[in-house]
Amino acid sequence: MRNAIRIGLLLAPGVGLVLAFMGAVLYRAVAQAFGLYDFSGTSDGLSLAHWQDVLTTKRFWRAFQWSAYIAASSAVIAVALAYPIALWLRKPFRGSLILSAMLKAPLLVPGLVAAFLLVNVISYHGFVNEFLVWAGVWAEPRRMQNDSNGFAIIGLQVWKQMPFAFLLLSGAVQAIPDPVLNAAQDLGAGKFARFRKIILPLTTKAMQAALVLIFIGAAGDFSFQTVAGPPSVNSMASYMASLQGSEGDWNGAAVVAVMLMALSLFGAIGLTALVQLITRTLGRLA
Amino acid sequence: MARLVAEDIAVRFGTFEALRGVDLTAESGSFVTLLGPSGCGKTTLLNVIAGFLQPSRGRLAVDGKDITALPPEARDSAMCFQSYALFPHLSVADNIAFGPRQKRVARDETVRRVDGLVRQLGLVDHAGKLPNALSGGQQQRVALARALAVAPGLVLFDEPLSNLDAKLRDQVRNEIRALQRDVGFTAIYVTHDQAEALALSDMVCLMNKGVIEQKGAPRDIYFRPRTRFVADFIGAANLHRGKLCGGAMSTPLGVLHCCHEDGEDVEICWRPEAARLGGDLSGTVKAVAFQGAHVDVFVSAGPETVRLQVPGELNVSIGDTLQFSVPPEGVIALEASANA
Amino acid sequence: MRKSPFNTILSGLLIAVMTVWLAVPFGMALLWSLVDPSQAWSYPDILPPKLSFERWSLMWDSTSLPIAMFNSYSLAPMAGVGAVLLAMPTAYAFGRLEFKGKAVWQTLVLVPLIMPGFVTAIFFASLLFSMGFFARYPAILVGHVVMLLPYAVRILSVSFSLVRQDVVNAARDLGASPISVFRVAYLPVLKPGIFAAFLIVFILSIEEFALAFVVGSPDFTTIPTILYSYLGYNFIRPNAAVVALILVVPNVILMLILERLLQSANPAGISGKG
Ligand SMILES: Nc1ncnc2c1ncn2[C@@H]1O[C@H](COP(=O)(O)OP(=O)(O)OP(=O)(O)O)[C@@H](O)[C@H]1O
Ligand SMILES: [Mg+2]
Repeated sequence: MRNAIRIGLLLAPGVGLVLAFMGAVLYRAVAQAFGLYDFSGTSDGLSLAHWQDVLTTKRFWRAFQWSAYIAASSAVIAVALAYPIALWLRKPFRGSLILSAMLKAPLLVPGLVAAFLLVNVISYHGFVNEFLVWAGVWAEPRRMQNDSNGFAIIGLQVWKQMPFAFLLLSGAVQAIPDPVLNAAQDLGAGKFARFRKIILPLTTKAMQAALVLIFIGAAGDFSFQTVAGPPSVNSMASYMASLQGSEGDWNGAAVVAVMLMALSLFGAIGLTALVQLITRTLGRLA
Repeated sequence: MARLVAEDIAVRFGTFEALRGVDLTAESGSFVTLLGPSGCGKTTLLNVIAGFLQPSRGRLAVDGKDITALPPEARDSAMCFQSYALFPHLSVADNIAFGPRQKRVARDETVRRVDGLVRQLGLVDHAGKLPNALSGGQQQRVALARALAVAPGLVLFDEPLSNLDAKLRDQVRNEIRALQRDVGFTAIYVTHDQAEALALSDMVCLMNKGVIEQKGAPRDIYFRPRTRFVADFIGAANLHRGKLCGGAMSTPLGVLHCCHEDGEDVEICWRPEAARLGGDLSGTVKAVAFQGAHVDVFVSAGPETVRLQVPGELNVSIGDTLQFSVPPEGVIALEASANA
Repeated sequence: MRKSPFNTILSGLLIAVMTVWLAVPFGMALLWSLVDPSQAWSYPDILPPKLSFERWSLMWDSTSLPIAMFNSYSLAPMAGVGAVLLAMPTAYAFGRLEFKGKAVWQTLVLVPLIMPGFVTAIFFASLLFSMGFFARYPAILVGHVVMLLPYAVRILSVSFSLVRQDVVNAARDLGASPISVFRVAYLPVLKPGIFAAFLIVFILSIEEFALAFVVGSPDFTTIPTILYSYLGYNFIRPNAAVVALILVVPNVILMLILERLLQSANPAGISGKG
């Protein structure tokens, strides 16, 4: 009992504060989504009216799909790029240290700076256009900024998040001791069998973590969207911010917030399950 | 069944030569131990035989077929790793079944082998556990079972018993030897324990600094060590160096006789148990250690101290003068070591 | 130990690609920040016609950049100290004590990392609004401390777990007071962790955008919000280049220091092979 109190006191300023703060914020979001704390003062009390408003808006569903699309593509591409490199750099060789340091470099660059750098490079008078025109590949500069497929945003997310995936995955890959792989080889497992039966299952957790964290980060993106995204579409975060900021509709924003958290949650569950399924299937192959 | 021939195997790590021309023949179905001090290249040699390391020189053949260029997965050998190297995500049973599954052994045969090994190695209660949930000794037995489950022609053991207590070690050692006789695989067995090497093997290879310094039957190695290193490493040895003239060498203890041709600078040795009480060698007793069946007595004369083994009933105390002799057939002349 | 020419060639190639990948954007940013305001750098010119530091001094004199820098660089160290102090007791419990539900608490403390930044920011603002709390500076400080606490807790937990119980026992056995036990057994091991935790909170606080943007709007500025204002609807490229460099260069240097510290805070053995 005394011990429990002691633990409680120790946890209070750290976990306690975090949970109190985040709990209050979360409660506030959910409560406002259901009509409480209506600052416009028109109505107060539980209601589903704000859900009705938001969920029947085309712009909202467009934002929802858009965020899901951006987040899933970014997560999958970043991991798909980072995984083979992490495997390849498992054993050090000449140049591999420099290479992995360079791969991690974008971690040091804040997202907004990354967005600026990209926009600067791909803009109408940016490096890419000038270079390709100079090299004679294109007759005249092309417009690449704010493309309607969101390639610029996905590119930014990958640029920013790939090093993070690389860090997680290379940690997992390097934690596999050489003798374990040797043992598998010794027992008759060829290259692909070693990958399927040893490396893949031992890195599943890291891969899931990387996918989930990138997905959640990209689903909640605001700055890449507003700087480099197509003006005709919103991301969930930018839609939420515009509802709250320019329209003063806190309750609508709260509905979007809850939906964004739901998107993050279900995206995370979906990706985790997908990886599990792939690992299982590949492991079962004879 | 596999007859392994290794010829002139050399391995370098950068500028360091871990193996410097090892020749080794393991007859089909024989039990060969590699013995030697830490860092002498035992694991390296096993890695070459298994195929994890490409030798910079030399060739390997099994049953007359050159396997030097074959990748590990294509060789008919299985290794029991010094570090266990268990697959952390697979249960004990799945670890053991991994090899048979890779080699496409029929399902019921796999189950039979796994069950048999699990029983023989006392792992019945642990078959469903993950390796992390096992003690060091249990993990070691899983590693052993995993290597044996493939039923290969050649099994490479890298100190497979180092983590077991004395009793279990004895039991598992007999288990390995019995299995080896039943199944008939050829065993290359690395150990630090000379008693284990002498007890188990058909052939002992004593390694030192990347070469095999002497190989032969356990008795040969013990009773006819060729170099000082071998004499010293296996059992205890009393060493003298000097001029051998007419089969006699004078030492501070007295004159020792030896059946060897004369020389200006000869090194001879004798085992503590070769000494007999009474005779014309003598010295002062410096220390006595009672061992039960026998007594170790340390006798010194001048700068030299030797060790004698005398029957347990004998009552000697420090400060006594002890008279003893060593019969000429108990004195062995040594060659200069190739790598002093 | 085969040497594969494939590896050497491929890594050489990738290093070249990465150099372009990193050097071109930063080179462009640097060039843009040095474009002289009197002569624009426009389409047919490969390089700016005239280079000067004019833009930098102009920004300093005529925009809110100095205030933003003051805000960012005073918030960050306070957030760092606050987060480290608040994280200490929890990290001690995580690193050195065993208790029921520890794993759950260890996961729960990470909640701020997976909560979308704008959700936290907007509904924190909503809370402040209800409470009638309009002092933005302290509000943002509190927000930064809480949002970045998980990093401090994680790093310090590892540090605390590295303190060796036998050294603590030895110190007590020799009659040391609690304070000298802390000095002898804890502090040397914790020091790199404390610095690392402080630095990471510092760096991330400087970079933090969502909370500063939402809670601080419309007129409270930090370096990221000022950068954002040059990136949005009115893209003023040279200004953005200046602010981007101001934001990124100190952080890169701090990050490199952090990397060193983290290495010494986690000596080998945590992921030992074998
Ligand atoms: N990958 C490597 N790189 C460089 N040197 C190595 C490598 N592997 C082994 N060595 C060196 O080669 C020598 C032989 O090593 P090996 O592992 O074969 O010794 P060992 O006889 O098995 O010793 P132990 O009884 O301690 O296991 C040692 O000096 C070791 O330092
Ligand atoms: Mg070894």
